[in-house]
Amino acid sequence: MPLSKTQLLKILLFQEIRNILLSPALWGLLIALSLLVGYSFIQAVTLFSQASQTALSYPELAAGMNPLDGIFVPTFGAYYLIETLLLPFIILRLIGHDKQNGTLKILLQLPLSTFALNGVKLAAMALVWLLLLIPAVSVVINWKILGGSIYYPEILTLLLGHALYSLTIVCIAMFATAIAKTLPTAAMLCLGVTLGCWVLDFATGNGQGWLEILNNWSLTTLLRQFESGLLSSPTIAAFLILALLFFTGASVWLHPGKQLQLKIQSSLLVVAVLLLAAVGCSQLGGYVDMTANRQHSFPPADVRALQQMQKPLIITIHLTPEDGRYYDLDHEVLAKLKRVVPDLRLIFADTASGGLFAASGSDTYGLIEYEYAGQKEQSYSNSPEEILPLLHKLAGQKVTRDKLQSYSGHPLVADASGSKVWFYLLLPLLFLLAAGLLQQPRFLRNHESEK
Amino acid sequence: MAAPEEKELFRADNICKHFGHQQVLTDICFSAYPGEILGIIGPNGAGKTTLMECLTGLLPLSSGTIYWKDQQITPQQVNPFIFYLPDGVLPYAEQKAGQVVTFFQQLFSAENQQLQQLLERLELEPAQEKRVHSLSKGYRKRLLLLIGLLSPQPLLLLDEPFDGFDLRQSLKIMQLLRETLSGRTLLLSIHQLTEAEKICDRFLLLNGGNVAAIGSLKQLQEQAKVSAGGLEEAFLALV
Repeated sequence: MPLSKTQLLKILLFQEIRNILLSPALWGLLIALSLLVGYSFIQAVTLFSQASQTALSYPELAAGMNPLDGIFVPTFGAYYLIETLLLPFIILRLIGHDKQNGTLKILLQLPLSTFALNGVKLAAMALVWLLLLIPAVSVVINWKILGGSIYYPEILTLLLGHALYSLTIVCIAMFATAIAKTLPTAAMLCLGVTLGCWVLDFATGNGQGWLEILNNWSLTTLLRQFESGLLSSPTIAAFLILALLFFTGASVWLHPGKQLQLKIQSSLLVVAVLLLAAVGCSQLGGYVDMTANRQHSFPPADVRALQQMQKPLIITIHLTPEDGRYYDLDHEVLAKLKRVVPDLRLIFADTASGGLFAASGSDTYGLIEYEYAGQKEQSYSNSPEEILPLLHKLAGQKVTRDKLQSYSGHPLVADASGSKVWFYLLLPLLFLLAAGLLQQPRFLRNHESEK
Repeated sequence: MAAPEEKELFRADNICKHFGHQQVLTDICFSAYPGEILGIIGPNGAGKTTLMECLTGLLPLSSGTIYWKDQQITPQQVNPFIFYLPDGVLPYAEQKAGQVVTFFQQLFSAENQQLQQLLERLELEPAQEKRVHSLSKGYRKRLLLLIGLLSPQPLLLLDEPFDGFDLRQSLKIMQLLRETLSGRTLLLSIHQLTEAEKICDRFLLLNGGNVAAIGSLKQLQEQAKVSAGGLEEAFLALV
């Protein structure tokens, strides 16, 4: 009796999982990750401890000592490297080998779509990602043992960012494998896109117009939102749209029996639909500040007042986007305003500045003008403490701030050298042991008992 | 052996395939009947593999139609009826042969008894613990044949099934194919004429992407006007 599609998918999934677990590449990646994460963690703890020593002497500096920025983001930098440079090779191998050794020709004859076949690979890659979490969990435990403070919402946000980043990278690798004739070409295509995002991030950091749009959709920029502890629905949607775009592209182009014209038409349709979705998601609101120090939010009373500003708030900026003052203004004020003010319009005045190090010819350079309901205010400040009262004054609102306990920081002087044994020796040995055990016949039997 | 008078199981009409400006298959027409072994015979580059891949939807057809029991179907709809086993496939090369065999047994929902029988007949048991990539050419071929024979579809397309076997092994495989067919139809792509003559009921002679002739050995001899010799003489006279 023929199997149902669900039964077929289960058998295929188990086979793909076995295929991955038997691959030396996976265990090599895990060992490399363990070493890199360990090194990053120990370095981060050392630097954090040095900064904490000063902060313990000067309590006003302690507020700047938060484990997310000081420990977890630098440590997860190792994940960024592995996800960008090594993770794609697991999926390249998984699909590329099927293509090269002809297995794909057999699989394509099953009553399953290419979407289902790729979906199975993606599900198997989810297991890889769970294995990748082992060093991350070790970091959290080690930090806890050292006496460090952990605010789980920001750690989970960081992990979610890396999960979405990995998903997108895997889908890009899938697409590259589907369209390329050989594995080296697929690898070059995939790294071209992922490293391209990296370069884009450097090259267009403060770009305007289409460069800004491109940069906003770069994977590195999207991941940075999560690294900063900001959970935003547009960013999640952007990651999912990119992943879906490449996954659908991979599924359309995987089948060698489809006419080229049909593949191109389907791809264009997918791109059009996802472009519309992208436009839609750029209009999405929905931000949650997951940080312990609420670094992405104004005080709640200010937020409530700003949300009441129903008329357009026009801010004219007499600064070039490359100016460090603009960076501070954007980071401290504008980015937060964008998330709460219903109608915010930013205008860059013609500053006639000759560049980053050139003197401006304009007397008004550095000025920020605020206009609301026909009234105007201006300031040279980029601090929310000065700007927020101006805005409330424009809106005719009196704001009384709630008494909140301010974030006092979590400085910690610790010695993480004990973690070396775990990250450099025990964890790699455990991975080696697991790799060796899985080669034994009694492990990884086929998922159903024999008939 | 089936007679062409029987109701045809499968028919291909005017199958054409071109890669860019290069015409690879031109107006290929043939039928296959229940239980018969039809050999697609031709020299290397005749278009045998391309024809098989076009019929199973693994390559897009340029033009042509296919029928299953008089019902027109597209190559994307052939999966329930036709299984094609390409030549030189090395499925899941890093896994043990036994694991791969069990995987395909599950995938094709084949009975354990059938699998054991095939393992014995193909003498694959000693290779079960070896990884697929470390198998010899002969064992790899036997593993592929086992996968093909486990498949449930009524029409089985095998690409160069005897390539890599010596004469004695080929004869054993031929006997096995005959015995295990049990009503299935076989389409074999073969370039060795001696083997083809021994196993096939009918022959589709392909040359340069065209059908040179089709029929039983006797019919081919009649068309070629050769009374003596075998398939080789008929083939040379017709091509």
